[in-house]
Amino acid sequence: MRRSHLLATAACVTLACAPLAANAQFAPAGSGGSPTASVPGPGNADEPTATTPASTSRFSGPSPYAPQAAGVNAANLPDIGSMDPNDVPQMVPQQSAAPAQGDWSAYGRDDSQTRYSPLSEITPQNADQLKVAFVYHTGSYPRPGQTNKWAAETTPIKVGDGLYMCSAQNDIMKLDPATGKEIWRHNINEKYEAIPYTAACKGVTYFTSSQVPEGQPCHNRILEGTLDMRLIAVDAATGNLCEGFGHGGQVNLMQGMGESVPGFVSMTTPPPVVNGVVVVNHEVLDGQRRWAPSGVIRGYDAESGKFLWAWDVNNPNDHSQPTGNNHYSRGTPNSWAAMTGDNALGLVYVPTGNSASDYYSALRSPEENKVSSAVVALDVKTGAPRWVFQTAHKDVWDYDIGSQATLMDMPGPDGQPVPALIMPTKRGQTFVLDRRDGKPILPVEERPAPSPGVIPGDPRAPTQPWSTGMPALRVPDLKETDMWGMSPLDQLFCRIKFRRANYTGEFTVPSVDKPWIEYPGYNGGSDWGSMSYDPQSGILIANWNITPMYDQLVTRKKADALGLMPIDDPNYKPGGGGAEGNGAMDGTPYGIVVTPFWNQYTGMMCNRPPYGMITAIDMKHGQKVLWQHPLGTARANGPWGLPTGLPWEIGTPNNGGSVVTAGGLVFIGAATDNQIRAIDEHTGKVVWSAVLPGGGQANPMTYEANGHQYVAIMAGGHHFMMTPVSDQLVVYALPDHKG
Amino acid sequence: MPNTYGNRTLTEWLTLVLGVVIVLVGLFFVIGGAQLAMLGGSVYYLICGVVLVASGVFMVLGRTLGAFLYLGALAYTWVWSLWEVGFSPVDLLPRDFGPTLLGILVVLTIPVLRRLETRRTLRGAI
Repeated sequence: MRRSHLLATAACVTLACAPLAANAQFAPAGSGGSPTASVPGPGNADEPTATTPASTSRFSGPSPYAPQAAGVNAANLPDIGSMDPNDVPQMVPQQSAAPAQGDWSAYGRDDSQTRYSPLSEITPQNADQLKVAFVYHTGSYPRPGQTNKWAAETTPIKVGDGLYMCSAQNDIMKLDPATGKEIWRHNINEKYEAIPYTAACKGVTYFTSSQVPEGQPCHNRILEGTLDMRLIAVDAATGNLCEGFGHGGQVNLMQGMGESVPGFVSMTTPPPVVNGVVVVNHEVLDGQRRWAPSGVIRGYDAESGKFLWAWDVNNPNDHSQPTGNNHYSRGTPNSWAAMTGDNALGLVYVPTGNSASDYYSALRSPEENKVSSAVVALDVKTGAPRWVFQTAHKDVWDYDIGSQATLMDMPGPDGQPVPALIMPTKRGQTFVLDRRDGKPILPVEERPAPSPGVIPGDPRAPTQPWSTGMPALRVPDLKETDMWGMSPLDQLFCRIKFRRANYTGEFTVPSVDKPWIEYPGYNGGSDWGSMSYDPQSGILIANWNITPMYDQLVTRKKADALGLMPIDDPNYKPGGGGAEGNGAMDGTPYGIVVTPFWNQYTGMMCNRPPYGMITAIDMKHGQKVLWQHPLGTARANGPWGLPTGLPWEIGTPNNGGSVVTAGGLVFIGAATDNQIRAIDEHTGKVVWSAVLPGGGQANPMTYEANGHQYVAIMAGGHHFMMTPVSDQLVVYALPDHKG
Repeated sequence: MPNTYGNRTLTEWLTLVLGVVIVLVGLFFVIGGAQLAMLGGSVYYLICGVVLVASGVFMVLGRTLGAFLYLGALAYTWVWSLWEVGFSPVDLLPRDFGPTLLGILVVLTIPVLRRLETRRTLRGAI
C-alpha cells in the first residue's frame, strides 16, 4: 500500500482539503437504482403471529402452477422439442480452445477463462503513451422517463476480423477491430420492461458448427442469452438469425418456467458451449417471493437449439422438460454468474446463488441447502451434478457467487499438474479445487460460526468453510474505532450506528429487533469481475471490495408499511424496491431492508477507507501476496456525491475485473473514479490511467488488429455504483509510429 | 450597568459566533456521546462534549477561560486519538483535522477575549 497512500493522505491534510477529501462510494439520492438510505431501526420486534391481520390491500401472489401468461416475454416463441443428449454431434475444436495470439475468443479470453493475453506490444515502459483509438456507441442508455437501471458490463470478444459484442439491451454487433466501424448490427427489439435489476449483457459466445460446412451461413455463430430469456444464434459473418437453430434462430427460455413477469428472470452472461452443449443459467430477481421462478440450469444442442437436459434442484432425478401445466421447481437457487466449461472432463462449473428469499432459509429444501452458494460441476451429457463444493452453508447473507471460475494447473503432490479451478467469492475466501472431484487442493477449514441465531425455526449452520491456504481478500472484523467521517461529528454518528447494530464478525446472524452489520458485504470481496491469472508468471490478480452492509429483517406488517412488494404485484413500482436484495420476500414471515453501512446524510461509508483493493497473489510460490494496494481515487467521489477532483488513491468500491498480459501489465477499470489504468503486474505500480466517459464497471479485454495491440473497455457505468452511464466502448492503442 | 454586548467590533462578533458554534458542537457531542457511552462505546465524546459546552459558554460570555478550555479539549482529543489509532493519518483525519482547524480560530480569539475582559474590568473599576 501504502507509502503512496499515506503520502497522499499527508499531502491532503497539509493542503487543508481534508473535509472534502474523503469518501468514495455510493453517493446518496438520485435514481431508482440507488441504495436505500436507512433501515427501520429498533422497535420492530413484533413477531408475526397467526392473528396478525393480513393487509387487505396486499396482492396475493399468483399460483405457482399458473402457466406463463401469453405475451409475458418478448419472444413469445413456440415450445422447442427435446433430443437425446447422446445424439449431440461431435463438436469441432472451437476458437476458444486455443485462441489465435491476437484474439480474445471468449468472455475470459479462452476456455480456461484466465483473462490472460499473450500480447506484449504494450509494456510498463510505453503504456503512458496509450491514446483513444476509437469509440463505439451501442445506443443503449436510459431514455427520458425510464429509471436508470443500466450497467452494460459488456466485454467484447475478438475472433479473426471481428469484434463481437452486445449492447446493454442485447442488440448484437460486429465491429472492425482496427477502426470500430460497425460491420453489422442485429437489433433484437427488447422491451424496457424486460430489464431486471440491471440492464447488462456481459458478452456473447462464438461457436463453430460441425454440421454447417465452412463458407455457409451460420458455420460460425454468435450465441447470446437475453434479458427477456431468449437464446439467440446469429451468423458471425452477416448477423442474420440462424434459421436452423431453435425457431428461426431463437429459443424461448421461459419454456417450463411457469408463471413470471418481464424482468423477473433474465440472462446476463455468455452461455458456454461444452462438447456441443450450450448451457444456460439465469438470474432470478432477488428478494421478491419465496416461490419465485426456478433457478434451473439447462443444456441445449448448440447446433439445433433443441432441449437436452435440465438440472432442477428439487427434481434431482428428472432431467426432462416439464410438460402440460408442470414447471421447474420454484424458488430454487439461481446462478447469474458466468459459467465455465471444461471439454476434457465434460463438465460445466456453475457458480450458484441462493434460494429465493435470500435472508430467510427455513423454507428451503435439503436439496437446495446442499447446492446454494456453491460451485456445482454438472455433467454436460446428463445435467446431473458430478460434485458440489459449498462456499457458505445455509446462506442468509446474499453470499451468492458472482464470479466466474478460472481454470488452471496446480502442482500436485507427485509433481504432476492437477487440473484446478479457482473460485473467488463475495466473502473474499478464494477456493482452489481439484476440478475432477471438487476436493480442495489448498486447505479448507470448517470453523465454528454464530448459530443457531435468533429467527424462530431458522437455525444457522454451526460451521462455515474458510480457505486457509489462500490470502483472505478482506480486512479484519470491524471495530468501533474503524468508524470514519469528515469530522468527529459524522464519525460519532457512525460509531453510534455501529454500536446500535448486532455484530459478531462474519456470519453475524440476521435479526428483526435491530439491524445487523454484514461484512463482507454482498458486493464482495470478489464479485462478477472475477480474477485474471497469468499462467506464465503464476500471478493471480484479484480486485475486491470493503463495503459492509447494514441489514434488518422486517415483519410482514412492517414490510407492507414500507411498500415492499414483489415484482409481480400489480402495485409494484419499478425502481421503488431500491437496492438489490431489498425486498418483500413474499411467502416468508419477513421482508428485508438492505442498506450500505453508511452515513445516509452525507453518503459516505461509515467504515474507514480503503473501500476497494487490488491484490496480486503468487500462485507458484506458496500463494503469497506479491503486492496489494487501494484501487480507485477520490476524484469522482465526495460527501453528498460531490466530486472532489483529488488524486488520492483512497480505494473505492469496484465492480468489474482485470486483464493481465504477457507485456507485464494489468488493465482494470472497475473503480468508481471512472478511470481505466494499467498496472505493472510485478510491482503493482500504476503506470497509466485515463478518464472514461462513463463508469468503467466492465471487464476490459485486449486484442491485436493490423499488427497493433488494442485495449477495450465498455464505459457503461453502473446505476448502483452511482457512476455515469454511457453507451460507449472505448478502445485504446499506442500511437501508430508508422503513420 | 456594564453593557458587554454594546459597541462590538467585527472580531468580537466573530468570537461570539465561534463560541456559539462550539456550544452546538459540544451539545452534539454530549447527546451523541451519552448515547454511545450507554451503548458501550467510547466515553471520549461525552467528556469532551461537556468541556466544549463550557468552553463555548465562556467564550460567548467573553471570557478567556473559554478559549483555554477549548485548547484543553483539543489537547485531550489529540492524546485520545493517538491512543486510539496511533500515527495513522487516515484515521487521525476525522478525529483531529476539524477540531485543530477550529483550534486555530480559537487561538486567534484570545486577544479579542483578553480585550473584552480588560474592558469589563475597567468598566467594573469605574
